Amino acid sequence: MSTERDVSVRRHGVGAAVPRREDRRHLAGQGCFIADVQLTGLCEVAFVRSQTAHGRIREISVPAEDREAVWTAQRLAPFAEPLTATSTLEGFRTAPLPNLAADKVRYVGEPVALAIAATRAEAEDVAGRVGVHLEPLPAVVDFDTALARDAPTVHDDWPDNIFATTSGEVGDVDAAAREAAVSVTREYTLHRQAVVPLETRGVIAHYNRSTGELVVWSSTQTPHMIRDMIALQLGMEARRVRVIAPDMGGGFGAKCSVYPEEITLAAIATQVDHPVRWVEDRWEAQVASTQARDHRHRITAYAAADGTLLGVEADILVNSGAYSVHPWTATMDATMASAMIPGPYRLPNYRFRTRSLASNKTPSGPYRGVARPAAAFSIERTIDELAHELAMEPYEMRIRNMVRSEDMPYVSAADKVYDSGDYPEAVRRATALVEHDTWRERQRALPASARRRIGIGYGSFTEQTAHGCIEWAARGLAVTIGTEGARLAMDATGSLSLSVGIKSHGQGSETTLAQVVSEVFDVDLDHVTVSHGDTAMTPRGDGTFASRTMVMAGGATHGAALALAEKVMRIGAVLLDEPVQDVVLRDHAVVGKKGSVTYAQLAKEFLFTPDHVPGVEAGLEVVHHYRPEVQTGAFTYATQAAVVEVDLDTGAVKLLDYAVVEDCGTVVNPRIVDGQILGGIAQGIGNALLEEIVHDADGQPKSTSFLDYLLPGASEVPQIKIEHMATPSPYTVFGVKGAGEGGAIPPPAAIANAIRDALREYGTEVNETPMTPERVWTALRTSRMAAEAEGRATLEAVR
Amino acid sequence: MNEITVHLKVNGRPHTLRTAGRTTLADLLRDQLGLTGLHLGCEQGVCGACTVIVDGLPMRACLTLAGACEDSDVVTVEGLDGPDADRLRDAFSRHGALQCGFCTPGMLLSAHHLVRARQPLDREEVGVALSGNICRCTGYNGIVSAVREALEGGIAAESAAVTTRNHEE
Repeated sequence: MSTERDVSVRRHGVGAAVPRREDRRHLAGQGCFIADVQLTGLCEVAFVRSQTAHGRIREISVPAEDREAVWTAQRLAPFAEPLTATSTLEGFRTAPLPNLAADKVRYVGEPVALAIAATRAEAEDVAGRVGVHLEPLPAVVDFDTALARDAPTVHDDWPDNIFATTSGEVGDVDAAAREAAVSVTREYTLHRQAVVPLETRGVIAHYNRSTGELVVWSSTQTPHMIRDMIALQLGMEARRVRVIAPDMGGGFGAKCSVYPEEITLAAIATQVDHPVRWVEDRWEAQVASTQARDHRHRITAYAAADGTLLGVEADILVNSGAYSVHPWTATMDATMASAMIPGPYRLPNYRFRTRSLASNKTPSGPYRGVARPAAAFSIERTIDELAHELAMEPYEMRIRNMVRSEDMPYVSAADKVYDSGDYPEAVRRATALVEHDTWRERQRALPASARRRIGIGYGSFTEQTAHGCIEWAARGLAVTIGTEGARLAMDATGSLSLSVGIKSHGQGSETTLAQVVSEVFDVDLDHVTVSHGDTAMTPRGDGTFASRTMVMAGGATHGAALALAEKVMRIGAVLLDEPVQDVVLRDHAVVGKKGSVTYAQLAKEFLFTPDHVPGVEAGLEVVHHYRPEVQTGAFTYATQAAVVEVDLDTGAVKLLDYAVVEDCGTVVNPRIVDGQILGGIAQGIGNALLEEIVHDADGQPKSTSFLDYLLPGASEVPQIKIEHMATPSPYTVFGVKGAGEGGAIPPPAAIANAIRDALREYGTEVNETPMTPERVWTALRTSRMAAEAEGRATLEAVR
Repeated sequence: MNEITVHLKVNGRPHTLRTAGRTTLADLLRDQLGLTGLHLGCEQGVCGACTVIVDGLPMRACLTLAGACEDSDVVTVEGLDGPDADRLRDAFSRHGALQCGFCTPGMLLSAHHLVRARQPLDREEVGVALSGNICRCTGYNGIVSAVREALEGGIAAESAAVTTRNHEE
């Protein structure tokens, strides 16, 4: 492992591999997750959810003795409005997302009613006595039924099941087609996934009658956004709403939309005299937390005889589920896919169309990588097929066509501004790191009779991270994210308290943001508290998602630290009686040419006896809001290499080796960055090989427990080799780029290409995920039968 | 609701608890004893976040009825101590074996049981041995490294102790 940036001069600053400060409490079992919160009088909630994908509600029956404990849409309606996540995209159709379903249910898992009792078990008893009488309707499940001319409609007043259609063309794809020596057309499908943070969602709501304050605890990545929306949907001023996100067992995108459960519990808390809590169970999490993928892309690509990529045409379908969720909307995945199919390539001609479809499935939301795993799957599989047509090594095809360092900043065919780096170099280094030639030799050494075949595959990507307002506006969001706040205060003992609007939930921001403070103040991290996830204690911020926290909250923290440091130096200069230009911050002190004063001495002097520090204005606290000057984002890129072994008899795929060469700019904490990459790859392996929410024809999800929804375990993830390139972004503080999602983006592509390579003798392609043994075996069988039929036909012709 | 009385020892302390007959060990420990270090990730016995040690063996507290633990000796993460636990905690932090911390208590207890067996294991064997504990954050590389290090540390400490004893004899 190497970083090319000089190690920081600050011992605990940017670049230091300091241990995570979060570890101690979790290793002691002292984390405080939402299910661990204790409140006097707390009652538990169990939801009644639709067991039917599509149906009209005829009656909800509640036994007389349970009426006080049960809430239905009708009872809730006066206290909370449903949220409509609309878009500025032309022709976007929308429908309100009910807090509790009133007239129709549109997916299995949709909340219909809820029951409150002293314990969860008793709440479930009450919920079990609520009768939901439905008239079942034909369900819209897959792409073809959603698009059928006579399809039932998910939303009664829509003419069809399309949220929105977008399209565009850059250059002239038809001319590229005429010029091309080769072309390939393929269809790629990424089936639907659950997101699966190991801790499910959960909400507590408590209305304090003496202060008129509504406090909502939620396992959410976006506490400030939840606060705004609860206030708006309940018709309250937001000053009366406080949202607290306690310790969280992961999120990965499933916890950054505004959910009906949050609004519902908040509303009910204002009407009852005790706090209420709901903790999602695993079945609920598999049907009621937002889901992801469910893409189908049809790609045609054109290349010249020398391997130059000439043009790409993409027809993108995304099954977005029953509703558009706030703030992402139902077109988030489709618009991201169309933007990122050009990938890291110099692509002159590009044409796309996207259609985002409504169906009787759980609403789709963000999941690590947001559409980019699908975009990378499409373009990376296609690059390999073009290479096969031209008898080139696929990695050479990549190197030939990628954006080079001399092209930076490069405006892509989809109008994205790639900011920095050397994309082909990442490919070159990945081939070395995975020892490409050694594996090719082992491949050649296998006997023709071998029942297990080895393959090498690559997946490359470039990923927009930490983009600003204009990017979200371009995608039609009503809320254009892009600002982050930080407050830094020095107290009378000279220690530092940082408050940020993001919510760290496994990323280690309590460590990395303290490193940013230490970079400026040169203090041990033990002298810095990092507060996050409480709207009453932190300046406004958008939250932790979109690989934005290190750039955005890091930028805000740095701005606050610089401003406070400037003042601390002025105070120090007065106390030391030296010119301010002669003092520096070093090792917990302001150090001048003649003497030094510790932060502890300085703060006490300034805060207890400001008259000792004439000429310096009051206050030892700074709030800084950060919005990057260039809002097009910092692009993290990588090439991942997978080596697989495919069992010809069973279709089982085993990973023999895995390597990644990535560039997330300046690395703030190498341990934490490596952890993000490793964890992302593990989820990508799940996407590639294991995880699928399977639905039957009626829209009933069938893989809703961990017994049938398979997650990667310790033996499914090989030891992964990582190499960093660390080209600083010109657009961010310290040159940092986001590192949270990239690991998860190319594993499906790299693994599919490796399977293709392993089975090249048969021409077998697996173009859908997850690549289960059944799918691999079936694809192998199909291609062998086709080859045999072709062989017979040739024989006939010869005869 | 039929109530039962359970006598059991938790982290070395004896308890007599009244609870509903349907209460699981997980709910008993979390709700009645405030031991919230064990977490419920699936309540189906798959994810392993609720793992505790019952009479020396790792058990799924979510699938174990409290009533089945009469006279049992239960250890949770809050009571996990000693040289093996210290080595594991230290190695977990240095190797990046945790991120969100939700699976960590269960992972530690499963790993502790493994480390105590003093059986040398390669990476693949450690992976298989930990396949009953799901981690969604780390990608397991750090967990496997940490457990192997603690395992080797435990074996080394024990053989050093044996050597010392032999010298004393």
